[in-house]
Amino acid sequence: MGAMVSSTGNADQFKQSFREEAREILVDLEAALLELNENREDQELVGRVFRALHTIKGSGAMFGFEGLAVFTHNLENAFDEVRNGRLEVGSELVDLTLSALDQIRAMLEEREGAAETEACAGILAKVRKLTGIAEKPRQTAKAAGTQAGIASGGLVRQWAIHFAPGPEFLLNGSNPLLLFAELRQMGGLSVRADMEMVPPLEEIDPERCYVTWEMVLATAVDRDAIHDVFIFVEDSCELRIDPIAGPESATAALHDATARALEEPRATSGGRRGYDKPDMATSLRVPAVKLDQFVDLVGELVTVQARLAELSARRDDPEVAAVAEEIERLTSALRENSMNIRMLPIRATFEKFRRLVHDLARDLGKDVELTMDGADTELDKTVIDQLSDPLMHLIRNSMDHGIEPPEIRRVRGKRTTAKLHLSARHSGASVLIAVEDDGGGIDAERVRQRAVERELVGAEAQLSEAETFALLFQPGFSTAAEVTDVSGRGVGMDVVRQRVESLRGTIDVESRPGLGTRVTLRLPLTLAIIDGLLVSVEEACFVLPLASTLECIELSARDIEQANGKHVANVRGEIVPYIRLREHFHIREPRPELEQIMVVESGEGRFGFVVDQVLGNCQTVIKSLGRVYRHVQAVSGATILGDGRVALILDPERLVQDALRAQARNQGSRASPHAAQVRARTVSQAVRL
Amino acid sequence: MGIALEETDTGNLVRLDGAVDIACAAELKAALVQALDAGRPVGASVEAVTYLDVTAVQLLWAAERKSRQAGTEFGIAGAVPAALLTALAEAGFAALPGLAEAGLDFEAG
Repeated sequence: MGAMVSSTGNADQFKQSFREEAREILVDLEAALLELNENREDQELVGRVFRALHTIKGSGAMFGFEGLAVFTHNLENAFDEVRNGRLEVGSELVDLTLSALDQIRAMLEEREGAAETEACAGILAKVRKLTGIAEKPRQTAKAAGTQAGIASGGLVRQWAIHFAPGPEFLLNGSNPLLLFAELRQMGGLSVRADMEMVPPLEEIDPERCYVTWEMVLATAVDRDAIHDVFIFVEDSCELRIDPIAGPESATAALHDATARALEEPRATSGGRRGYDKPDMATSLRVPAVKLDQFVDLVGELVTVQARLAELSARRDDPEVAAVAEEIERLTSALRENSMNIRMLPIRATFEKFRRLVHDLARDLGKDVELTMDGADTELDKTVIDQLSDPLMHLIRNSMDHGIEPPEIRRVRGKRTTAKLHLSARHSGASVLIAVEDDGGGIDAERVRQRAVERELVGAEAQLSEAETFALLFQPGFSTAAEVTDVSGRGVGMDVVRQRVESLRGTIDVESRPGLGTRVTLRLPLTLAIIDGLLVSVEEACFVLPLASTLECIELSARDIEQANGKHVANVRGEIVPYIRLREHFHIREPRPELEQIMVVESGEGRFGFVVDQVLGNCQTVIKSLGRVYRHVQAVSGATILGDGRVALILDPERLVQDALRAQARNQGSRASPHAAQVRARTVSQAVRL
Repeated sequence: MGIALEETDTGNLVRLDGAVDIACAAELKAALVQALDAGRPVGASVEAVTYLDVTAVQLLWAAERKSRQAGTEFGIAGAVPAALLTALAEAGFAALPGLAEAGLDFEAG
């Protein structure tokens, strides 16, 4: 029984799976390297780097990436020297390894042209020069492979390993023998195959693996290193790695472990046979495009469900109504689940900027410490996918223009190491992502002057600070004295604005001269389906996002009279300004005697939206209005109602800002109950101080 | 790789050749089922096998169990390559299914 790699057409799928796993390991490896650069004595980090390299090497060879395996093997050697105290971690080693990671990424994509080959050779030559050792042949001896995870002077101990491949294990091209071979490189291994789960011949699915294995490994490596052997198959198998106490011999331990495994209850109750137990995999990878199709279908289902609800309401048939309600409940649960599946933590996006900050700091001769907060904040995958570019531009801009060189910081009495902070947090139906530095801040006067030079504003224009900052996001605008490799062409901020707008988000800029700048992106949590509140004004229907609505109160003619015609309502003693949608959208029919105010929480405080009627909750599939309407910012999209009508989905935040801006323009800031806010906050592009 | 079912004077012989892996697992299952359904002694020849993966081992194991339950003979016919036995042992299989019955005399019919 030799190599058991499948010769079926799964090879490409299998390679792709390896690529995805390897990319994740590379992200972790990069983060570990950058951390190691800051904490060069940290042996745990050295071990983490070594194990990651070891895993990529071993798995790369297993999945046919031989060149990648050889290349990585040399890097692994270097970190073996570090672990054994023969080589110190320095900037050169870290930078070389970071460059090597870029090459590994290219190898994963199988972009191994002449330039890449040359780059690899160059890196390896430098690594060898640094370590002072010639190239070690890969896997010359059993001992070579036992390096992973062995602490210096580590004691040999025994581990019981239970390994039960899932149904898809073999179809994925995975090969248990190669896993065992890798374990054998770590130490003495006893293996016992358990055939208990093999069904009768006629019932066997010939491509499924029913065999499970009990093993005992006597090794000095730690559990993480053993676990890493299975890292590429753990999604498709059940795996337990337990230390075995006591000085038993490997054979005895194997016997015990096997006995324990056999004693464990099997899923035989209710007539269900052991070999029918479900797939043990706790997670699985799904291509993003399939997920998008799934969510699109759920969106269609939500629309059809709305039609059914409408039909049911008209029929007045209790049986139809019961079915419609059940469908509504299920659709709602399905929608929520599908949305949850798409939610991802922003950590991976944040982490990849460590490398950018490291490289930029080196290139710019600046000392920058990157910190993060709220990296576990989750948001829609589509939003995350679109966030990389804007954040990259903000970081580059901050490091190039915001953060001062160390000598200037010293003169200004600041720490020479600058701080760059990335943060994320939820706020209602939005997520706030901020890039903050402790640099020199934005020189508003200089921005204004440059805008006048570029004839973006007149020389006499009176601009608030916030309006001035909004100019930074105009196409081609730059205050940089010179264009550098990093920034200064005035492209980046325009990209930020465009991308954030396309996500229906807003940008807030806060800056204090000499102290730093914070740019906050406010983005919707999801772009596909939201819970909405359906309201009407005459024949027109609108949807307000349910997450931002607080309550609904009545507005009578008497209330209006008591407010002396001002657009404010008294809500249990609190004065709440309101916007009448009838007026905002120029609906000319006279208003009814009794109106409704939907009170919402916005960034500017509580506001009301006056409508004729509140029709009720609705699941809202957001349809884009298309490019023609992309500048209509108070409307974030449209949705199709159950009766076929179209309702506009309103963006309360933008409506409030539009209204405040109009009010400030028409009446002067003194007339507004939010006068201070109007002065400070009402600006174009929602840029806010 | 190849799987052939041959009827001999003494029973049915499933002859395996080359790499016997997941790609031909369905074929192997069909051959074993057909061979056993005849109620005659069944032999599996692995002399020319270079690779044998877990799908093949579990099929041979199930075939051996079925024959035992049915009271028919099942065994490995002919020699077993030493490399195959080593690989089986490394994968934790106590023995090649049916090896205990090795030595059954199957001649091509």
